[in-house]
This record gives sequence, structure tokens and C-alpha cells, in this order.
Amino acid sequence: MDNTRIIKKVLYLFVTAIFAGFIFAGSVCQAKQEFIVGFDAEFPPYGYMDDNGDYTGFDLDLAEEVCKRKGWSLVKRPIKWDFKDSELDSGSISCLWNGFTMNGRESEYTWSTPYVDNSQVVITSSSSGIKKLKDLSGKILAVQADSSALAALEGENATDENKALAKSLKELQQVDDYNSAFMNLESGMVDAIAMDIGVASYQLSSKGDKFVMLDERLATEKYGIGFKSGNTELRDEVQLALLEMLDDGTFENIAKKWGLQDNVCLSIEDTTYIDGSKVPAMAGDSQDNVGSREVKKEDASSKNGNSVVKADVPKVKKLSVTHIIKQLSSGLAATIAIFVLTILFSMPLGLVIAAARMSKFKIIQWIAKIYISIMRGTPLMLQLIVVFFAPFYIFEISTPYSYRFYAVIIGFSLNYAAYFAEIYRSGIQSIPQGQREAAQIMGYSRGQTFSRIIFPQMVKRVLPPVTNEVITLVKDTSLAFALSYAEMFTKAKQIAAAQTSLLPLFVAGVFYYIFNFIVAFIMERIEKRLDYYK
Amino acid sequence: MSVLEMNNIKKGFGSKVVLKDITLKVEKGEVVSIIGPSGSGKSTLLRCATFLEYIDNGEISYIGKKIVDKGAVYPSKKELQQACANFGLVFQNFNLFPHFSVMKNISDAPIVIQKRNKEEVYRETRELLKKVGIEDKENAYPCELSGGQQQRVAIARALALHPQMLYFDEPTSALDPEITAEILRVLKSLAAEKMTMVIVTHEIDFARAVSDRVVFMDGGVIIEEGKPEDVIDNPENERTKAFLKKLHV
Repeated sequence: MDNTRIIKKVLYLFVTAIFAGFIFAGSVCQAKQEFIVGFDAEFPPYGYMDDNGDYTGFDLDLAEEVCKRKGWSLVKRPIKWDFKDSELDSGSISCLWNGFTMNGRESEYTWSTPYVDNSQVVITSSSSGIKKLKDLSGKILAVQADSSALAALEGENATDENKALAKSLKELQQVDDYNSAFMNLESGMVDAIAMDIGVASYQLSSKGDKFVMLDERLATEKYGIGFKSGNTELRDEVQLALLEMLDDGTFENIAKKWGLQDNVCLSIEDTTYIDGSKVPAMAGDSQDNVGSREVKKEDASSKNGNSVVKADVPKVKKLSVTHIIKQLSSGLAATIAIFVLTILFSMPLGLVIAAARMSKFKIIQWIAKIYISIMRGTPLMLQLIVVFFAPFYIFEISTPYSYRFYAVIIGFSLNYAAYFAEIYRSGIQSIPQGQREAAQIMGYSRGQTFSRIIFPQMVKRVLPPVTNEVITLVKDTSLAFALSYAEMFTKAKQIAAAQTSLLPLFVAGVFYYIFNFIVAFIMERIEKRLDYYK
Repeated sequence: MSVLEMNNIKKGFGSKVVLKDITLKVEKGEVVSIIGPSGSGKSTLLRCATFLEYIDNGEISYIGKKIVDKGAVYPSKKELQQACANFGLVFQNFNLFPHFSVMKNISDAPIVIQKRNKEEVYRETRELLKKVGIEDKENAYPCELSGGQQQRVAIARALALHPQMLYFDEPTSALDPEITAEILRVLKSLAAEKMTMVIVTHEIDFARAVSDRVVFMDGGVIIEEGKPEDVIDNPENERTKAFLKKLHV
């Protein structure tokens, strides 16, 4: 019944846990060419999480079909929309395909031809009394950050009317996702939302007649698939596959499935990309076929126009709590993996930093001091972003798909190590000098003194603050959403978006509480085990 | 041959000079008490002798082997660590390892550092515990022991490493008078076995009872030294007289 035995037990637990962690990390294997679609998983019906917890949507169905035809394997990569450019530039995704508006971004990406005609509309509650755009004067209007609606109102290419409208507002409130926009609207925090018509229709279909769409449009714009600037080769391949799908009617079928058939604007007639280059000819293309294709095209365009999309989108099925729990549990595994691996790496690293912090050498001491000061003084979320994007932006290395997970672990470990280092330092310094002196005279070396005398006593002393940090870590794992790593909270947000409900977030909260309850229980047990001396 | 030989030791902390040219020799089997008022430098002298403090000038030898050379030239860390095997130190506040049982406090260093046979060390530890009179406490933790018992564990722990000599830093200052008597008994039995001991104390009766020689220090210098009956009962120096007088009041 002494310290070393307990430490051995804890170490054993850690080693078991690290293997479990690597199984998570290593579960990605590459066989076929990967086509990684970056999308915002909170953007139904283009890309979102369905009732079974799978990513689905119009754009993802199209991508799936393209991959089937090209023999690629599709990777659906939900990303944090704010970082879409960094994701694309660093090569961690192949393209942005997610109701991605071309207007105003013409020169920023290598675009496919437009495939969906989309308008920016305004949604308000039925009882608001807002009937026309000018009624918005003095009201609060919500838009998604970095969205086309925002660009249409305030962007460089915004029309004068829209700019005037934006000026007349009491406030233009930027929100993170449409789910929270609707929650804002529902609770009266905002008066209206400006958004893409396709998304609006989906939301209206699940919200019933509490909300109405204004007839006036803020802007008409087109969706395209955005590739990294210059990546024309991949763009052409995808473009041709899409045209082939249009040609044989598959495209139309998929559009119908999502109630978007009236918005389709992909056309074989469209032989020039927005950047001026030519769309390559389809294989086996001959004059004979053109006629039949034209018919189909006319067919589609006749339905097009300014008609309001009828909301015949797949009806949202409300999930039961058990269903939500089932879906969240896959995110829970990721949360546990982040938690365990972070503990595993940050705790020993903290010891190294603490040692450096207490070093006799002023330079080492200062390096540790600066490190701790930066890690504690800047937001963890920013650190995660830096770790994830630094290899590309600083060293110009394209990171592999699996790096996202490593970046989360590295970011968390580096941050938590700084906190642990300071806890250890206070623990080590609180041990009376007499202990070291006694050990020195008895002939213990510095290393032996630390491992046999100082460290075990430090462990006991630092347990309460360490428990605090560990519990904070459980909750902090949700910050992995900054890198779009699908841990539990990210999942919960995605389900919440698809369900247009807050319930998944509360269920996630219960998960965190139970997780922490267990952590606190275990830490308390360890504390009790070390209670045999004072 | 002297067990300890300290020559011309000088030591200061910042601008404050604590030891001014101290020379002290301790012969094998001798029991020396260092007495003096607080601030006289007696504890610092002991810390210098045990390498817990570095001297500014002078030399230190153990068993005829020069450890710290003239002009306070210290050997390598490793050699200094090995030199520590010459002596044991019983601290004023014991400094037992709180997370180790009594048994482990005493046996850990012989097993881990001296790499001696475990069973043999355990057997010897039990004998030592018997000798200091707490043979029933081997599985207890320091926090479960009284001050006197902890002091005895500290003595056993020092003895377990088979040192050439033992230092005691104010061994009785943290103890009740009746327990002091018991510690005195332990020290006397050690003296009877010819254990070389240097005891820093300000308990005159204790010094008189146990020592062969008493050294009186004040203001960083040795004022007077000799047999206890001479120094304590018939001091020659005025400062010694003044110090003793104050204590006897």
C-alpha cells in the first residue's frame, strides 16, 4: 500500500488508454483515390446530418454519384465554415461543395459551372408584421457569418438598395449557424433572418407556419463547386461527371429527391467557366446527341425562374432522446480519445516544462516562462487553429487527412502541459527543503531524490488542482469543433441543426456531466488511496 | 587519525560573515557537543560539515581524505555525494519521508543506494528499531508517531547506512523533557559503542551528560573548548560565562 503501486496502476491504465487512442487515430486507411468534400454540416438540405447520424444532402448525393462514376472514394469532411479557405489551401479537402455561392467570389476559386440558381431571401415570424424588405428598417436582421446573405447586404458587390437596407437596420447580427439563427428568431432576439432560399425552404418545412418568407429577393445568385485556385484538372473531371449525370437524368433525380429541381441551372450549353476557360467536351460527344440534350435543358429551364421553391423537401423526422444518445455516442468515443490522449501526453510534458521552469539555467527558465505565458495567455481555440494550419502556412507542407486528429491532440496537449507544469511546480516547491537535504546526505542522487522522495509527495499535493484541470479538459474537448473534429459537441450541434432543436445540446450536456462525474469519482478514489500519510 | 578535520572555515551569507576561521577536529569515538547562543554559527558549521552549505574558504577532510581542498575547492558532485557516506545527520525536525513507512524510511537507502541484500537490510533495520526502542513501529508511518519516536526513527535511519560518524542538529529542541531523557539514553548507548558524534545543542545538561568535549561558539568563532566539566562548570572566557549564566538563571 504505497505510492509506487498506485502510480504503477495509473500508468497501466494510461498505457491501455493510449492503445485505445491509436486505434481511433489509425482507423483511417487509404486505398482508392480520395475525393474529400468540405462542407458545413449545419447547412441542410445541401449538407447536414441525417436521422441516422450520417452526413447527407443534395450536394453530398451529387458528390457520391460523381465518385461512383470516377471510381473515387468519397470522404465527407464537415468543416468549420470560417476556415474553409485554409482547409482548401492546405489540401485537407479537395473542394468546397456545399451550396457555395459563386457571386462575389468569382476570382477566389477555380469554379465549376453554376449548378443551382439560388436566391437570398428573408424569413421572419408570421406575427412580425414584416411584409416587405423596407419593413426591416430599425429591425434586427440575422445572417450567418461569412455567408452570401451577408455579402449581398454588406459585401463589396452589394447593390445600393441592399446597402441602404443594411444601413436602415437596427443591427445586422452575425450568427454561427442557421439553427441558432432560428432560435434567435423564435425567441424574438432577432426580427428576421437573411439566408439562401434552399436552406430557408428546408427550415420552413420543419418549422410549420410559424415563419414566412418575404416575396422580395435580396439577391439572385448561383451555386458552384469551388476548387483550389488553379486546380483545373480536378475541376474538369468533376464537371464532366456532372454533365454526364445531367445527360442521363441522374442529376434531375437527385435534385427531385431534395426538392431542388426548380433551382437546377447546370447546363450543357454552358461551355465556358467563369474564369473564361472552356469546359472540355464530353467523351463520345457527337452532334446527334446535342438535340436530345437541349430538349432536356429546355425542360429544366421552363420550370426555372423566379418561382418560390415549394417545400417538398424530405420531412424532418423528430428524433427520440434514445436516438440522439445513440448518435452522440460515436462523438463520445472521439471525445474520450481526445481526453485520454491529452492527459497521457500533457501530464508528462508538464513535468518536463516544470523542470525547465525551475532550471538553474536562466535561458531554459525563460523559455519555459514564455511558453507557459503564451499557452495560458491566448485562447485554446486559437492555438488549435495555429497547430492545424501552421504546417501549411509556415512550412508549406500539405497535411494528410488524419492530421486533423493529431492537431487536436497536439494543441490540447501543449496547452494543458503549461497548466500542469505550473501545478507541478507549486507542488514541488511546497515540499520542505529538509526532504531534499535528508535525501542528499543519505546519498540519493538528484534523480533518485526526485523519483523516490519528491515526486510521490508532489503527486499527493497536486491532486486537487489536477482534478480541476482534468474536469476542465473534459469540457474543453468541445473546442475541437474549431478544427471540425467530430467530437461529441460538434455532433450535437450538427444534430441540433438538422433537427432544428436544442435537445441534442442538452443531451450532450448530460453526457459531459456523467463523464465528469466519473472522472471526479476516480480522482477522489486516488486521493483516498494516498491518504495513508500526511 | 581524525574522523573529521575542518581547517580555517569561512562562511558568509551575502555581506554577513557567519563563520570566521573555524578549525575543528573530531577524533574517532569522540562525542563533541557544540554549544552557543542562537546566531553563533553552530548550525551553519554543521551544515558546512555535511555539505549542505558551501564554505567560502578553508578545507574539510574525512578519515584523512581531503574532500574540500584549501581555498574551498570542492570535488565533483559525484565525489561529494560519495563523501556523504562518511556521516549521518539527524535533523532538528527529523525530515523523515512521510510517504514511506518506518521500515522503508530506514531500509530504502541501504537497498537502493548501497545495493545491499534486502533481507539482510530488513533484519538489520529491525535490530536498529529494537536498539532505539520502537521495534513495534516498523509498519507505521511517520505521521502516526510521536516526536520522540520520529527522532528515534531518524537516528536508526542514519545508522542504517553505517556511517563513520553522526551529526545531531538540536536533537532535543522539539521534544518534551522526559523524552529528552530517552534520547539521551540512546545517544549514550551509541557513545558506549564508540560511535563518533557531533551534537549541536543549546541544552547544557544534555551536552554535559553525553560529551567528551564541549565546544563553545559565539559570533562565528570558537571561544572555548575542552572537557564539559571545564567549559561548562569552570569557563575561562567572559562570553562563555555570560552565556552560561543566562542559561542557569
